[in-house]
Amino acid sequence: MNFEKVVFGFFIVLSLTLNFGFFLGDIDNVAHHNVFELFAIIVVNFIATGLKLGDRSQVGAVLLATSLVADLHLIAAATYWTVVVHVTETGLTPDVMASIISLSGGALLANFISVIILVSDTLMSRL
Amino acid sequence: MAEFTDLSRVRFIVMREMRRPVMALIVVYAVSVLGMVFIPGNEIDGKVQYLSIFHAFYFMSYTATTTGFGEIPFEFNDAQRLWAMACLYVSVITWFYAVGSIVRLFQNRFFLRAVAERHFSRQVHRISAPYFIICGFGDTGSVLARGLSDYGVPAVFIDTDEERIRALSFRDYRVPMPGLCADASAPKYLLEAGIRRDNCQAIVAITNNEEINLRISALARLLNPNIRIITMSKVDVFEETLANLGGEVHIVDPFKMFAKFFVSTMTHPRFYALNDWLVRAPRVYLKDSIEPPVGKWIVCGHGRMGHEINRALIKQGMKTVVIDPHDNKDTGADNYIVGRATAKTLAMAGIDDAVGILVGTDDDGYNLSILLNARKLNANVFMLVRQNRHENRIAFEASQIDMIMQPTLVTARRVLFLLVAPLLKPFFQYLLENAPGRKEEMDAVIEQLAQKIGQRQPHLITVNVTKARCSAVVACLEQGGRVLLGDVMTHPDNINRPLDLVAFVVKSAETVYVLPPDDYEIKAGDQILFCGTGAARRLLNATLNNEYNLFYVCNGVHLPKGYFMQWYANRHNRPAL
Repeated sequence: MNFEKVVFGFFIVLSLTLNFGFFLGDIDNVAHHNVFELFAIIVVNFIATGLKLGDRSQVGAVLLATSLVADLHLIAAATYWTVVVHVTETGLTPDVMASIISLSGGALLANFISVIILVSDTLMSRL
Repeated sequence: MAEFTDLSRVRFIVMREMRRPVMALIVVYAVSVLGMVFIPGNEIDGKVQYLSIFHAFYFMSYTATTTGFGEIPFEFNDAQRLWAMACLYVSVITWFYAVGSIVRLFQNRFFLRAVAERHFSRQVHRISAPYFIICGFGDTGSVLARGLSDYGVPAVFIDTDEERIRALSFRDYRVPMPGLCADASAPKYLLEAGIRRDNCQAIVAITNNEEINLRISALARLLNPNIRIITMSKVDVFEETLANLGGEVHIVDPFKMFAKFFVSTMTHPRFYALNDWLVRAPRVYLKDSIEPPVGKWIVCGHGRMGHEINRALIKQGMKTVVIDPHDNKDTGADNYIVGRATAKTLAMAGIDDAVGILVGTDDDGYNLSILLNARKLNANVFMLVRQNRHENRIAFEASQIDMIMQPTLVTARRVLFLLVAPLLKPFFQYLLENAPGRKEEMDAVIEQLAQKIGQRQPHLITVNVTKARCSAVVACLEQGGRVLLGDVMTHPDNINRPLDLVAFVVKSAETVYVLPPDDYEIKAGDQILFCGTGAARRLLNATLNNEYNLFYVCNGVHLPKGYFMQWYANRHNRPAL
């Protein structure tokens, strides 16, 4: 058993499942999406990215890239949320909510790719 | 260098051939357009309309190409129509002439040659992996190409027969195999095949013509003093010359090779099956043993094969009877019967009390008929038959022969081994050496192979411990680490599970270790030959090139990958997790 693999696997899968939960629901309905869930996804995803820093293997590089992509999407979504609530004070109108959720959908896809790579890497060496 | 001359040649031919048609088109267009511009058209609003140069050129463009959009931008008058008619006929004819010239250009032999050569040298330059040049794509070349493709090694082919090169381009090889129809004994083509390139590892001369093979080898040595040369030769005179070319030269003589094999099977009955199994010959079981019987042998046909085998048999202290139409006294045989091998001559040679028969003429039909005759006279006789042409395979396989010798196959397999697994030669030499305990060692190897690979296809894996091929191993050695041979042969996921690999030979500097022990320490620059399964090959490559996998198989613990984990491990004073 590889302890590092367990830790990284835990965080990347947790990030995926949280993201899925946040993404679920009507795309423009504020009531279906919780801000704390978004916060949790960002934290978990950052940890997953941090764990991959310094890995010199090929698979490690690809996993770092995919989790960076997810980070980018999530930061954009959180920034947008903050701006409409606190800066412009226009509030979470349906079109704003749709943008935020579609960004989190992008992050979901990136997390999904990470998990696929992780699983296939593990299976490959099983041959 | 070759590339530029080629490009300029193609360009030159195109320019020379197209000069006149292009000139004619320009003149016809210019005159027609000028005419259209200067002819006054109909009056509109009291003003005579002239075509602008743009409109005239537009009109000519579609008229000359017989598209015909009509009279644009206004209706023509009769004077314009008269000129348009003249223009149309002249320009259409000129176009036909131009198109005809292009077609002629594409039928020009020299042009096609130049294009093919250019295409070939570009394909060669695109190969970045190590590759081989193979001169001759006959039966042998084709078997060799298939073998190289299975091992994922690209090669470049040169053959004088255009049909063969065309056949090459239709095969489904897994790696690029460019071919050129040319005479390989001309230096120009060898240069185009990249004989001076750094990643060109060897040149193989296996054309049907021995003299050409010799010439190719000599040329290759002059063009590149360091390249490995492998040549097929069946004539002793040429072999002397070849041996003195300098550098690494291998001469493959299928008949001598086979005679050597044949002798080895007498002392090592399991060797024949081992060799056949390693080349992945169909319907071969690793654990088979074939033992040619001891006693009186009949040799039908004293050609190159008959000569070699007869000599080998006599050397082993057996009695032989030769049947051959040509009278030849100094064969060393007990009895020499002049004539064709028929039921009568076979009976004269004493087939009843013979233990084995060699049927080795260069005619397959004749060989088969001798075989049937012999079998009728003595059903238990051991049969060794020469099969000359590959397409007769089914007939030979159906006749249940103990040993079939195909010169093309013997050559192709030998060359393939020399190319992809050069260390197999010292391995075989070691196993066949007449030393105590060697027989048991061979049995042990066969047992190990059967246990690890079994029914799966064997792969010969040659590993060069260099930075390019084994980055992780070389990095570890440079840092003063130790890498044991047994360690890299374990599974990168589970250290207790060995990979399906058997280490045959390690060549370190000039020393060769056959069947190296598991605690052999790998050094940079070593060459190692393994035999294993395809999956084991992939995993081995991953271990040799991935520092994390290598660390695990060497130490049994995982190296922390990310900065965080490295920090965590350091905090707990553990180098690994």
